[in-house]
Amino acid sequence: MVITPIHYIFVPLVAAFAIPLLSKINKELPRIIPGFVMFYNIIISVVLMQQVNEFGYVSEVIAGWKAPWGINLIITPFSGFLVSLISVLGFLIWMYGYRFKKVIDRGELRTYNILQMMMITGAIGIIITGDIFNLFVFLEIVAITAISLTSFYRERDGAEAGFKYLLIGGFASTLILLAILILYTQVGTLNMAEIAERMHTVPAGIKATILILFIVGFGIEAELFPLNGWVPDAYSQAPGPTSTAFAGIVAKAGVYGLIRIIFTLFDVDGAYEFLITAGLITMIIAEAAALKQTNLKRMLAYSSIGQMGLALIAFGIGTKEAVFAAMFLLFNHAIIKSLLFMTGSILMYNSKDKTINSLNGIYKKLPFISILFALGAFAIVGLPPFSGFWSKLYILTAAADKNMIFLIVTILAVSVVEIVYYFRVIGKLYFSEHESEIEIYKPTPQALVAMTVLGITILVVGVYPDLVSGYFHNAADILLDKASYIRFVLNAESAIQ
Amino acid sequence: MNIFFTIISLLFSGALLVFLINKVVPKITGIVAFIIIAVVSALFFTQVTIGETYQFTMGEIQMQFGVTYYTYIFAIIVLGLSTLASLYSIQYMEGKERLGFFYSNYLLTIAGMIGIVFSQDFISFFIFWEIMTWSSYLLVIYNGHDSNKIGMKYMIFSAIGAYAMLAAIVSIKANYDTYIITEAIQNGAFSFADHIYIPIMLLIGFAVKAALMPLHVWAPKAYSKSPMSFTVLFSGAMSKMGILGMGLVLASAYSYANTESANTITALRYALGWLGGITAVMATIYALIQTDAKKLLAYSSVAQLGYIIVGLSTGTKLGVMAALFLAIVHGVFKGALFMVVGAVEKQAGTTDMTKISGLIRRMPWTFFVALVSIIALAGVPPLGGFVGKWMLYEALITESNNYFLVIVIFFSSTAAFLYSYRFLYGLFLGQEEKDTDHVKEAPITMLIPMVILAVILIITGTFPGVLFEPIAHGMHYLGFSDVNWDMSILVNVWGLESNMGHISMSIGVVFIVIFTFLTIKGYKGTKNVGTKDISTSGEIPTENENLSYQLDYFKPFERAAAPLYKRSMNKIWNDLANALDAVFDFTRKIYTGNGQTYAIFVVVFLVILLLFKDTLFAN
Repeated sequence: MVITPIHYIFVPLVAAFAIPLLSKINKELPRIIPGFVMFYNIIISVVLMQQVNEFGYVSEVIAGWKAPWGINLIITPFSGFLVSLISVLGFLIWMYGYRFKKVIDRGELRTYNILQMMMITGAIGIIITGDIFNLFVFLEIVAITAISLTSFYRERDGAEAGFKYLLIGGFASTLILLAILILYTQVGTLNMAEIAERMHTVPAGIKATILILFIVGFGIEAELFPLNGWVPDAYSQAPGPTSTAFAGIVAKAGVYGLIRIIFTLFDVDGAYEFLITAGLITMIIAEAAALKQTNLKRMLAYSSIGQMGLALIAFGIGTKEAVFAAMFLLFNHAIIKSLLFMTGSILMYNSKDKTINSLNGIYKKLPFISILFALGAFAIVGLPPFSGFWSKLYILTAAADKNMIFLIVTILAVSVVEIVYYFRVIGKLYFSEHESEIEIYKPTPQALVAMTVLGITILVVGVYPDLVSGYFHNAADILLDKASYIRFVLNAESAIQ
Repeated sequence: MNIFFTIISLLFSGALLVFLINKVVPKITGIVAFIIIAVVSALFFTQVTIGETYQFTMGEIQMQFGVTYYTYIFAIIVLGLSTLASLYSIQYMEGKERLGFFYSNYLLTIAGMIGIVFSQDFISFFIFWEIMTWSSYLLVIYNGHDSNKIGMKYMIFSAIGAYAMLAAIVSIKANYDTYIITEAIQNGAFSFADHIYIPIMLLIGFAVKAALMPLHVWAPKAYSKSPMSFTVLFSGAMSKMGILGMGLVLASAYSYANTESANTITALRYALGWLGGITAVMATIYALIQTDAKKLLAYSSVAQLGYIIVGLSTGTKLGVMAALFLAIVHGVFKGALFMVVGAVEKQAGTTDMTKISGLIRRMPWTFFVALVSIIALAGVPPLGGFVGKWMLYEALITESNNYFLVIVIFFSSTAAFLYSYRFLYGLFLGQEEKDTDHVKEAPITMLIPMVILAVILIITGTFPGVLFEPIAHGMHYLGFSDVNWDMSILVNVWGLESNMGHISMSIGVVFIVIFTFLTIKGYKGTKNVGTKDISTSGEIPTENENLSYQLDYFKPFERAAAPLYKRSMNKIWNDLANALDAVFDFTRKIYTGNGQTYAIFVVVFLVILLLFKDTLFAN
């Protein structure tokens, strides 16, 4: 069997339909099947990345309709990098969520597993599709599954968070659909490469309107201020594995959408400056808000918003080095924030009243989890020798090359705030008296393995960043090289089948 | 494998090793840590050749390791103190919790400091700087309870400093296209001709670690609350990393100054000199009113670092030499003093000078070390502190004509006598208390490093030449040529000689003569009474009566200096932090938690963007 990009979509869909049937046979199967699917995703990623390295692109034309008529799936070094990242994370999150305490308690195994799997599939779909309407469909899949998972626990808070997400997510869908509609009336095609080619024919005023609709629509998923009101609630109410997936996977898909629209589809002046400004405001407000949180998961959610803001700044600087730094940051954020959410969920689950204060001295009960959390915290604030340091350094270097002193100062000032709220938690974890007497729920071995893998990755990349930076360079180069993207998609017959 | 990598990786893997060993055989954790550090020191002093460099790339950045004559001075401080402090630590930390955690961070801190010494490019310098910072943060909060706040303050100031440094580093890369320190210097990065903010930001970063006003507020508490075997390194060696950086930047600024930048540099010199002077005075005044011996020493450390910075700021040969000399000597005597306090804490259970006294009979060796170190600290001949201060005064008076600063320094160093005396008297002299009857002399592994440090102080005081040799080489590296020195003779600009040997010798002779005279004179008619036999002229003292002057001894002074204590830098920073906190709280309220508000945000944002679309996205 030849592995092609469609397997990313096809296999999970089949599995999703099979899970309810197979659960009649064996109760364990709904838990195990997503694992196989996620593992298969990794295999696909490995095979496809090899082909990408060899040929530069991998493209798949669906149902024999060539671009621009049909839907095509494209793996470039950029999208391939993101998809591989998501696949690996998806598998780790599955391992972590396998027999996750709360999920077992509720007994809603089937729903949880199907939704979680489809959310990841949707995120992958957003990234690999070459058709803008198809992208919208995948975005909807992500939104619907994410909203259902947010209110998974059927408690008051969960329902409220889910409702907020639904409300804001509804805006996102409507605006993006509207944008696609207007775009279609102007260029008469839905293929992204062809849109990009014909974009210069669109009048400036309409072009700006479409761009704004897209920015607001994707900005909601990419956690842009002031569109990110849903984020803290959704992150803190969703089950642990799901909030991990939100930070590691869904946010990445939103940023991908925004970046693909701005970098490939539009060539509007001011878009880059807009990214920098919006990213800056998002980052400052989110980090300031994170400082005052009392709930650990909410704090992590705000911190996640802040990191997305930093990524947008890096993309907005727009040079090759800056985009490379942004790729590095996306990678770092994916592994580090996932680790933080994984460990943070376990810590929170074992605390008395879910506040940071009740984490006092929990180190003695959960030593390994606490160390991993501390590792993640050190890495995310950008302390060497952990991986977070390099992305921060490269972003600052890129900003310095363009002489953006104000940007450097702001990023560093915000980093000090980050240090304050993360180190406050570490101080509490390790050096306060533990008073609570609740029974400690120990993480499962699978969860431990997943977290250890992430922790080791953080360390290894921190000590030897050259291991991965080659991929980021390729990804950055191709993102900035719009012309060759268009050329390739429209001449897809030369692709490898 | 390259020797630099061997040393660094030995320390890093050692950090992991002690952590694991503590799980298996907790008793030998300290011993293993000591062995690792001793091996590293041995490797360094036998295998490393000065001037040898090693280049490699990491993260697509050209990096370079090596040791210069200048950094070698600091390597001596770091490795010497680390070896002795870790030997001391074996018994000091015995029986405490989380030894694995303690020792692995201990080794990481040392790895950070050694890495800083090795680094010859800014990125690896910064990496090791940060490793040193966070591992020392974890040691500061080791004792728990209120240490969290203290550690937080330390971390915030360190982060501000480190990020100021990082901003300067990326600007150097952008403007001078290199990360290698020597290349950047040669390209004029520190010449103050253009991009003045680069050296200033770097100096701010270093000043935090060197505890310079107004960035010093973290230091007194962080020094006094950490475990003493770490404070030895913290105050003795780590603060010198700030001095290392400042010396490098300032010396390059002096060497590469041109006519345009000369005025800026003069202004900077004055500013730094005064900041150092004020730091010295204020810290001394604060040291005077401390009743806890640890805090007294912590403030005294800050004051001494002030002297060193004054020395660096003179920019003259003698001044910089004095600064480097004081840096080494301060590391030695402050290391010894913190060890003394640690020993007292371990044996007597407290370091509060109002609670214990008269330990001289119980802990004679500890007293000996304390005496020698205090003499060095106070700058009384014939010990090292005197030589350093002599050079500093001479530099200030003869070479930079900064008489007001001389007065300030002189005041501070005179006031230092007061707290030095209080320290000695409070802990060791005076009347013996009943509670301290059980106190015994410190264990032998704690005494050995202390005594070694005391002996080093005596040697360097009498023959400062042993230190002048590496310092003179280092000065030469920094661009100061023709530094003349002899075993105990220092030649100043006019060729006049200051013979430390003669000075020490004559003062020693006078001291011995007076001592003998007083002993003989006082011996007549004395009779030995027990230390608890108090003569009160027939009246029986009540419990409230103060028979010892270790309590309230400096009351008049305190009253006189009261206005100074009111306006502390600490308060200003706290007010600033509270103001920022209020701003953050306000920001948090943007997220109301109300779905309708969020929906309104989205709509308003959309409308605003659409209204301004022509200005935002002009095509």
